[in-house]
Amino acid sequence: MTDEKITVLTDVVLITCVVSAGRGDAVILAAREMGAAGALVSHARGIGLRERLGLLGIAIEADKDVVSLLVASDHQDVVFEAVCQAADLGRPGAGLAYISPIERLATFIPREVLERLADQGKAT
Amino acid sequence: MSGAPESIRYGDYLRAIGAGRQRLSYNALGPTLGRDAQGRARPAPATAPIRLRPDEIARLLQPYVSVRFADQLKAVAPLALYLALFQVLILRQLIDDSWLIVGGLFAVILGLMFFMEGLKLGLMPFGELIGQRLPRRSPLPLVLLITLLLGIGVTFAEPAIGALQAAGQNVSPERAPYLWALLNPWSGALVLMIGASVGLAAVLGTLRFLYGWSLKPLIYTALLPVLGLTLYGASQPELAPVLGLAWDAGAVTTGPVTVPLVLALGIGIAAAAGRGDSGLSGFGIVTLASIFPIIGVLLLTLYLAATLTPAEILASAQAVGAASATLPWSARSPWVELLMGLRAIVPLVVFLWLILRWVLKEALPRPREIGLGIAFTVIGMCLFNLGLTYGLSALGGSAGASVPAAFMALPGAAGSPLYRYGVGLSIAVVFAWVLGFAATVAEPALNALGVTAEQLTNGFFKKRTLILAVSVGVACGIALGLTKLVLDLPLVWLIVPPYLLAAVLTWLSSEEFVNVAWDSAGVTTGPITVPLVLAMGLGLGNATGAVEGFGILCLASIGPIISVQLTGLWARWRLAWQARAAGHAPATPSALGAELPL
Repeated sequence: MTDEKITVLTDVVLITCVVSAGRGDAVILAAREMGAAGALVSHARGIGLRERLGLLGIAIEADKDVVSLLVASDHQDVVFEAVCQAADLGRPGAGLAYISPIERLATFIPREVLERLADQGKAT
Repeated sequence: MSGAPESIRYGDYLRAIGAGRQRLSYNALGPTLGRDAQGRARPAPATAPIRLRPDEIARLLQPYVSVRFADQLKAVAPLALYLALFQVLILRQLIDDSWLIVGGLFAVILGLMFFMEGLKLGLMPFGELIGQRLPRRSPLPLVLLITLLLGIGVTFAEPAIGALQAAGQNVSPERAPYLWALLNPWSGALVLMIGASVGLAAVLGTLRFLYGWSLKPLIYTALLPVLGLTLYGASQPELAPVLGLAWDAGAVTTGPVTVPLVLALGIGIAAAAGRGDSGLSGFGIVTLASIFPIIGVLLLTLYLAATLTPAEILASAQAVGAASATLPWSARSPWVELLMGLRAIVPLVVFLWLILRWVLKEALPRPREIGLGIAFTVIGMCLFNLGLTYGLSALGGSAGASVPAAFMALPGAAGSPLYRYGVGLSIAVVFAWVLGFAATVAEPALNALGVTAEQLTNGFFKKRTLILAVSVGVACGIALGLTKLVLDLPLVWLIVPPYLLAAVLTWLSSEEFVNVAWDSAGVTTGPITVPLVLAMGLGLGNATGAVEGFGILCLASIGPIISVQLTGLWARWRLAWQARAAGHAPATPSALGAELPL
């Protein structure tokens, strides 16, 4: 069964960035500046580093913001760098970021965009 | 990055931002997995603790400390700046010992920072653990008894209570013997009585969660003895000066230790009974905890009046005055604050620990972290007490003492009165109004209450609306309190009619609004507002020759109760009016009540 309204996108990667709660907004802002279309933020509890640092672990918030960004694979390096800089990952305990490949992504794409891409011969 | 040139080669950009990154296989980081004889993987050895170099530790701690410091700075700095600027610009007076005050304010900021963090790390996990486990393990009467004892313990640990005791030094035993007696030789009994009242409020509030009682009848039945005792006290000339203290005691108790700890226990009990999911859980305890201490203090005063005559108090005051010429080291300035800090926290911790060991028979979940948290709490409390003496109280006191220079001749102030009486008094009242408004808008606890209120009314009552309503209420209350001190109005006529009005509004309003409005009164008076306003009132009282400077705080409590309920009623009325104008369904009260989550 085909539904013409749904488009399947390929060449998508998932960039996930885990930072302490409240710092997620800065990450999203930086990612959007570099062309990420949108972001999903979830609230989570992180476990691991906090325990292994001993008493210094109090400086690490257990509450985390998990920012998930779906971006085009051409943009992955720029967005990833922007995210890492915004999250200040060079600081101990600041958090982590990773890229995972996405096989395909189904969503709605405006017809105007599709037609424009078809004219350029890019849509299939 | 927005300032980058329009076109840049993509590869250059990547190299610029990504150059010099180390690459490391994660396999090299993890422990090597051994295999046993059958080729199965052996469980990995426990991960070793991470060791950091000093510079790495500094980088780890820097954001942690700066965020928390900025939080407290934001609460203290605007108020202090406002007070100082007002004195310099409007009253044209320099502040004495300004460096000492700045140091004191710094100590307040540091102290609150340590205290809040310690509370979060140390005392709160304790309270939550006990709140979750105790109701499942123990019968209800024992749980309620522990709640009562906890109420007493947290009152001693409340930072603002120290301000109340510090305020007692300026009261003259000749003019207000019972007030002096309560604040000096009987101050321990006073705090105990306030604590017992808070404990009782916690017990009743918990029972309320458990059985789903409405808050309205509880308010009516609590107000009846309060207003009765107040009217009786006002009719006795010797008891009248105590009224201000009694009413202020209610505002002082509901601070950053009491509210979260008692709530954690109450909500735990309600959750254990399967009633924790109501949106109203958590409300009501604060309300009762700010009404009951009034009854407690008034009853203690009645007991004092029955056992001691003013002449006896005067004699003991003179004896104390003669003895105080040589204070022991434990009663002199830096040490008394440190001792008070220890005395406030340690008994509470010991009490919580005993419950954990003997009643719950459990070990602490993260003993080192909780221990550090408790140490932070003690350090914070000591620093805060020091800052209270040298910073907040000094600043508030000097502001209070110099404000009257605007409208009356003060011996110390050159050129006073600075303005004509009417103008000067208006300036003073406006000053108090702005101070109250600014102190309340910044209160973090109010922000949290605003979020809850917005959720409770499904977004109908906006957070901003609540913060604005409460701030205006507090501001009007503080302005009224200043007028009371200057004109020496009897407190009873400023308190009884507003509370009667509040009772009428309570009867008219819906349950959610009653909860939010009455709780907002207790929530607004935090650890910065209370000492500042208390000290200002006492300084003002001294300067204008009033008998006592209490009463401003309680007027600041009644203000938001009325303003929030009025705002709620007005919002409901406006919605009903709009519905009628749009020709919708008839706005009968019952239909409206079903339609609106008010």
